[in-house]
Amino acid sequence: MFFKLNPTTGQPLYLQLMQQIRHAAETGALRDGDQLPGIRTLAEELVVSPNTVSKAYSELEHDGLLELRQGSGAFVTVKRRTRSLADHVQVARRRLRDLIEQLREDGLLDEEIKRAFEAELLYPAEIVRK
Amino acid sequence: MLWYKAWLETRARFLTCLATLTIFCAVFVGHAQGMIHPEWKSDYNRLLFITQQFIVIMWILAVVLLGMGGIVREKAIGISSLTLSLPVSRARILGIRVGMGILEAIVLGVVPWSTIFLVSSLAKMPIVISQVGFYVLLLLGGGLAYFAMAVLVSCLIEGEYTAPAVAFGLVLLAAIIFDAWLRPFNLWRLVTGDFYIDRHTYLLSGHFPWLGTLASMSAAALMLLASVSVIQRREF
Amino acid sequence: MTNSPVIVTRDLTKLYGSLAAVHGLNLSVGPHRITAFLGQNGAGKSTTIKMLLGMVRPTCGEGTVLGKRITDAEENCEMRCKVACVAENKPLYGYMTVEQTLRFASSFYPDWRTDVARSLLSEYKLPPQRKVKALSKGMRTKLALLLAFARRPELLILDEPSEGLDPVGIEHLLQMLVAQAAEGVAIFFSSHQIAEVERVADHVCILNNGRLLVDASLDQLRQSYRRIDLVFASAPPEREFRIAGVEKLQTKGHQLSVFASRNAEAVIERARDLDAVSVEVAPVGLREIFLESVKEN
Repeated sequence: MFFKLNPTTGQPLYLQLMQQIRHAAETGALRDGDQLPGIRTLAEELVVSPNTVSKAYSELEHDGLLELRQGSGAFVTVKRRTRSLADHVQVARRRLRDLIEQLREDGLLDEEIKRAFEAELLYPAEIVRK
Repeated sequence: MLWYKAWLETRARFLTCLATLTIFCAVFVGHAQGMIHPEWKSDYNRLLFITQQFIVIMWILAVVLLGMGGIVREKAIGISSLTLSLPVSRARILGIRVGMGILEAIVLGVVPWSTIFLVSSLAKMPIVISQVGFYVLLLLGGGLAYFAMAVLVSCLIEGEYTAPAVAFGLVLLAAIIFDAWLRPFNLWRLVTGDFYIDRHTYLLSGHFPWLGTLASMSAAALMLLASVSVIQRREF
Repeated sequence: MTNSPVIVTRDLTKLYGSLAAVHGLNLSVGPHRITAFLGQNGAGKSTTIKMLLGMVRPTCGEGTVLGKRITDAEENCEMRCKVACVAENKPLYGYMTVEQTLRFASSFYPDWRTDVARSLLSEYKLPPQRKVKALSKGMRTKLALLLAFARRPELLILDEPSEGLDPVGIEHLLQMLVAQAAEGVAIFFSSHQIAEVERVADHVCILNNGRLLVDASLDQLRQSYRRIDLVFASAPPEREFRIAGVEKLQTKGHQLSVFASRNAEAVIERARDLDAVSVEVAPVGLREIFLESVKEN
């Protein structure tokens, strides 16, 4: 498994790791039952704090994607819920692809599209309802 | 392993001084045989008396040199933080350095005189072990004050060349002061035996000057305690 | 393993004449994590570390390391058994050989691991019989770091550890730090290299002119600092944006740049209410956080 964490983007490293593990599970690079490297091993490999890996793993365990077995390591458990989530993500990505194509045709640059998304995402749900 | 470190630090200085002193003594006593005038009475003992004076000068210079170093000098070259990060008290660090220095000073006093004894005995000269012992004890008992002074200087003054310069300067100053004003307490004369030498036989006579030696050693002890206090208070 | 902080200081101050090298420092460094002490040269990082290790006496204030008071010589000495530290200039005894240096260091610490020392020695390709004064600068740095990494202390304190290391050396240094952290060692290192800190630190303390400006987990900083660039149809109403969390406001023509340490949502809401033409939000990297914190001070 190849993970690449970018410390300068401003996104916490543990979130980046979680996203990348999730992405791997969604695309099938990680299958049900696969074992992820131990916290220490992965931390040394990525040269990040062990707490980063530990936090990512425990959050994913909480979300049901990983199973942490004492002494053995972290195992991927792609549950039914996650599988359907993966389908939703596939659908969402197709929709996004169409939307992005449309925005590009309208004359927006990729950077502008990206910033617009980020700005909208930061806008909490309650304010939208107002 | 602080003893080992102290040894490694002073090894070169010590061995050089030891070699110089020993060779000087052997050669001086060996060659001086030819200089002995038949009209001198007790000429051999007078030779020994003169030798002691030379030994004292060289020994004092040597122990002042040996007293240099320590944490303050390490600060000047930038490595004091290694020594100070060790889980050892500053007093202990200084104490071991002083201990090694004293052992080396003792060897520097005993070995040259032992050489003289050996060379003289082989040449069948009238050397008496008690005289040799007397000279050695005078040297060590009285002279360690100079070593203590050097240690104190090394704790106060930073700078690889400033500290020994000040220390040697103080030795000179002490010699001048003792000669000018403090004649009865002249450490130099104590150490060389000038107080007790019988001008006819040139033998050290009388009792061993316990009081003088005690005074000198007390001064040494005070200076060493002062050094500990200085080192403990200092910031690095 | 306890959960009490490994380093605690209260109003720690060091004055040199009228200059405050360290001013009212209140630190609380937690165990089981990597804490970075960021600051420019002369900010007071080395002075703080020296006070913690008993080399310099604080003018006022107090502190404890592993529960032992730093101002008590005996307690400080006890504590140094369980603390490994590497000073900024990577001190070593020039007259000792590499082998002698290792034997010397190992004799003082019960937590010395001979197997680790040996493997690091061959990994760094340090010639055991060569005197330290004959080693190159890079090798000396590696040896000085080896003395700390061959141990398994409770706390590892490093002052500018990457100084004098090439990129390969820095990578290896960070890997060693991570390895130590994985074994439960608390790490406190001072640096002015933002890149390294961003990679491995869990917690960041920013020091400037002897004062602590920022003391937060790196994740928290990443999640709350934001730069919000706004464009207005007319002159930007700067006054309206002086709300909690906003650190800096900059106006250029129709553009208003807001630098917020927290509460970005409130800024965005205000911008919408004031009919901003464009609202762009971007996360802020540690470099910018550091530069802005230090500038306004």
